[in-house]
Amino acid sequence: MIRIRGLTKHYGKIQAVQNLSLTVDAGTVFGLLGPNGAGKTTLIKLMTTLAKPDSGELFIDEHDVIKDPLAVKKIMGVVPQENNLERELTAYENLLIYAMLHRVSNSQEKIASCLRLVDLWERRDELVSKFSGGMQRRLLIARALLSDPKILFLDEPSIGLDPQIRRQVADIIRRIRIDGRTVVITTHYIEEAESLCDRVGILAKGSLIALDTPENLKANIGQYIVESISAEGKLVQSICHSREQANIVARDADCQVVIRKSNLEDVFIKLTGERIE
Amino acid sequence: MTVPAFYPIFLREMLLFKRKLIRIGYLFSAMVAPVIYLVTFGLGLGRSVQMKDTDYLTYLIPGLVAMSSMTNSYTWVASALNLNRLYFKSFQILIQAPVPASAVMIGEVLAGMVKGLFAAGLIIAVGFVLAPHFLLTPLLGIALLLNCALFASLGVVTGMITKTHEDTATYNNFFILPMAFFSGTFFPIEKIPEMLRPVVWLLPLTHANIVMRRHSLEWDTAVSLVVLVLYAILFFVVGERLIRNYSE
Repeated sequence: MIRIRGLTKHYGKIQAVQNLSLTVDAGTVFGLLGPNGAGKTTLIKLMTTLAKPDSGELFIDEHDVIKDPLAVKKIMGVVPQENNLERELTAYENLLIYAMLHRVSNSQEKIASCLRLVDLWERRDELVSKFSGGMQRRLLIARALLSDPKILFLDEPSIGLDPQIRRQVADIIRRIRIDGRTVVITTHYIEEAESLCDRVGILAKGSLIALDTPENLKANIGQYIVESISAEGKLVQSICHSREQANIVARDADCQVVIRKSNLEDVFIKLTGERIE
Repeated sequence: MTVPAFYPIFLREMLLFKRKLIRIGYLFSAMVAPVIYLVTFGLGLGRSVQMKDTDYLTYLIPGLVAMSSMTNSYTWVASALNLNRLYFKSFQILIQAPVPASAVMIGEVLAGMVKGLFAAGLIIAVGFVLAPHFLLTPLLGIALLLNCALFASLGVVTGMITKTHEDTATYNNFFILPMAFFSGTFFPIEKIPEMLRPVVWLLPLTHANIVMRRHSLEWDTAVSLVVLVLYAILFFVVGERLIRNYSE
């Protein structure tokens, strides 16, 4: 579905995306994980025609994003990181304008269906400025689904939301996934990436440093983490490949320890020496 | 039913415009500058000014129509586009939609024209009441449409090239405000010092003022009309190009 080769994008002296190559299969949920400034949003902007690369190749559904952006725009939906709804228009008007822009047929039925999917049908005639952050985020998802896109890009869909709303957003994404769409999601929420994504790419300083399923990424570094507090009061972590190995490490420790399963943040720390924040 | 590609862009602006109209602040802001000029220059100073062919108020009204159509077409487009692009990010929806740049440009320009025509309409209404010899001629109508189109297009250009919202005000202070005063809005351009006149002839508002004050098409009026058309095409093409090559 997505084929990227040698993609590079600079902003002045800052190299936002560096010689990046990856492929995303159709019908899968692909996660881009990384800290702020890793290049996730720039990569989404490049894929969604909002930014032009300095060099490299970028194909979506066999359409060249650089040479034929209009073809790509017809098959994609975007949930941006920043809320770009028209605040002085109602929820319905926002979707109506979007439906016209994307030449959606049977727009009234589709608007109703998308608003029902995100539980906003009853609030359709209210101004978006009166919506809570969570409602606006749900409306952004409804808007992106309106044109029935083959591929959906979600840039930090849960950012700034409380855990309950985050769960609602994750549920909506799971429902979208059942439809067989390709979904590309950027996040720095580890649980979100682990629970939603078939494959995860880890970005750091504009480069893709790992690419695999969440299970494989964790298995490669070790599936168990033994945590203890040192005499100096520092958190000490030992990565273990099996439960037995973790038990041995815990037994040998001369202080209280916690054994837990590794997560994608551990993968990130192992690969970069930094935390995802 | 399929609608033209520019229509959703135009519709969005019109829905927002309708909401703004309901607020008294919008009407006030559209009217405040021309009303101040009308009272100060027309009803105040104007009583002691005698023009060659007509009374000063009848001379002033077309100038105010040109000025208010310019400022409203330009400012609303430049300001809204700049805010939508840099702060609200709603312009990005248009870039990511499968519509050509020309459709975005047409939608934005038409919306700017409506805002300019609305403000001009208010001045024309005042003109009918206060200026006894003021006439709404076909030439005034054509020049008004061209003026709105060219300044709305210029508004798109400004909205696309400014890097902060403050830059919009800077462009306004350096280009739009001097143009409002030195293009024959309040006094004939013959009264401007000789050395400045070539610059004044380059200003599109000068030509809008010339055409709006004429009752019949003479050769110099035709030249000014052509200049307005050329400026409108130039700004439209530049604006369309900026939208087409947009990249963050």
